[in-house]
Amino acid sequence: MSTQRKHRSFGLRAICALAVLAVFLMLNMPQASAQTSGRDVRPPDINSTTLAEPSGPSNALGDKSDSDFWRQIRRANPGKVTIPDRQAAVLIQSDGQNWRAVRTGPIKVYGSWILAAVVVILTVFFAIRGRIRIQSGRSGRVIMRFTLNQRIVHWFIAVLFIFMALTGLIILYGRDVLIPLIGKPAFSVIASASKQGHDLFGPLFLLATLALFVSFVKGNLPQRGDLKWILKGGGFFGGHASSHRYNAGEKLWFWWAVLFGLLLSLSGLTMLFPTVIPELGNLQLANLLHGIAAILVIAFAIGHIYLGTIGMEGALEAMTDGYVDENWAREHHDLWHEEMRRKGEIEPALPPSGGRGMSAPASGE
Amino acid sequence: MSFLGFVEGPLFTVAAVVFVLGVIWKLAGILFLGIRPDYATPRGSALGGAVITNIRHLFPRRIFLANGGLFHFLTGYAFHIGLFILLIFALPHMTFLKDRIFGFGWPALPRWAFIVMAELALGGLLLLWIRRLSDPVQRLVSEPADHISTGLTLLVMLTGCFALQISHDVLRAIHMLLADLWLIYFPFGRLMHSFTFLFSRGMTGAAYGRRGVAP
Repeated sequence: MSTQRKHRSFGLRAICALAVLAVFLMLNMPQASAQTSGRDVRPPDINSTTLAEPSGPSNALGDKSDSDFWRQIRRANPGKVTIPDRQAAVLIQSDGQNWRAVRTGPIKVYGSWILAAVVVILTVFFAIRGRIRIQSGRSGRVIMRFTLNQRIVHWFIAVLFIFMALTGLIILYGRDVLIPLIGKPAFSVIASASKQGHDLFGPLFLLATLALFVSFVKGNLPQRGDLKWILKGGGFFGGHASSHRYNAGEKLWFWWAVLFGLLLSLSGLTMLFPTVIPELGNLQLANLLHGIAAILVIAFAIGHIYLGTIGMEGALEAMTDGYVDENWAREHHDLWHEEMRRKGEIEPALPPSGGRGMSAPASGE
Repeated sequence: MSFLGFVEGPLFTVAAVVFVLGVIWKLAGILFLGIRPDYATPRGSALGGAVITNIRHLFPRRIFLANGGLFHFLTGYAFHIGLFILLIFALPHMTFLKDRIFGFGWPALPRWAFIVMAELALGGLLLLWIRRLSDPVQRLVSEPADHISTGLTLLVMLTGCFALQISHDVLRAIHMLLADLWLIYFPFGRLMHSFTFLFSRGMTGAAYGRRGVAP
């Protein structure tokens, strides 16, 4: 009797336990089902705070949607890595697309327009104005304009700059300009050589820029009369424009070359030693600044080279021999000429074989 | 045979032979010129004077430092030290010399040191050439041979730097072609000063040393 009661009691407890278990399972069934199939029905989470979380899905089943996961990767949110290179935590550096778009877009397009415009303007100017002659002819007397050290520094940076500019333009525009002309295999060779040469001469260009600053800063600081020279357009408007040793245009070129030269050098060194500033974004910024500064300096340099060679009689010899004709000095730098005259720095030009004022004939043309 | 194979093979062999025989011929010619006998009683050692002068002239005297001497001292040593270290210890050069001539190798420069040496050599030579062209006196005393030697050396170095990526045989071949031309030209131009400076300084030192003076 007691045995039968025990069996009945056990049976009731088992039924109750199964009933509780069934209710429990039924209550939890929808949640489990939602967990396994929720990624198919869950709307994308566009909350930025969620997207900024530095982790991917928290488990294999995934408590976040695939689209969230890929969106985080696409937006360059870093994951977790155990290797020292923390940049490896970013699978897709999306800013790189912006960098590429700016580099191959505005910088290339506007850069080419700027360079082309400078060449066209100078060509038209030369066609209309011709060479700026020494109006009163050569005097047969000369004034020392640049010392030997200044000339060495000038030609050193000039050679480096032309080399860097040519190789840099090949790197920037080579794909667009050279590949259609010479094909990919030949361009590959030229591009490789340009890259190596550009990288190698970069540090020398920095030293040359510093030497340029030290050698030429004296006389290139702003002076009274510079503004008047600018307002007269260097003599194109409103008659003769007086000038000291360097006119305002030359001063602008000096500071332009020094400041953009330093920017070019520092941004170039940043790219040359990418581990010093390991942020990829900084490297991309350095690359963009490098391109912009290069275009601006090359554009100005074209004008400088034009005026220093075919554009103006008597200018080049200042950098080849160090001396300029007295009449050239009087016409272009009258205040400096007067200063030299007072100091007694005006000398007779030596005959062509003598080295000083070599290109100066005895009388005017 | 490829162009690279030609400039690294037969042409290099010809260039090396011309270089060695040319240098020997020129040096022998100088040595066989002989010295006019000096019958005066020697007051010092001619050999000692030659050695001391060669050592002393490695550094400029103070009086010359002010008048461009420091420029020549710095740029001259930058170029020559950079060039010789590159020539012997640059990895591609060491490998080439090991494979083609000596049969054994030696420690090569790490890449950073290679770059530093290349900067020194290129910057130094460029500055020296610019000074030669800018200084009226140096310009007047310079001959075409000076400019050919400088230009050829600069081109060899420059094309070597162009080929640094070691990814294009064309660049390597251009560098090697210019190096072959450099070797062939070496005994017949100003590049011979690499050997003759010892003789010229030694002669001056010996003449003075015999008189008991060390210039």
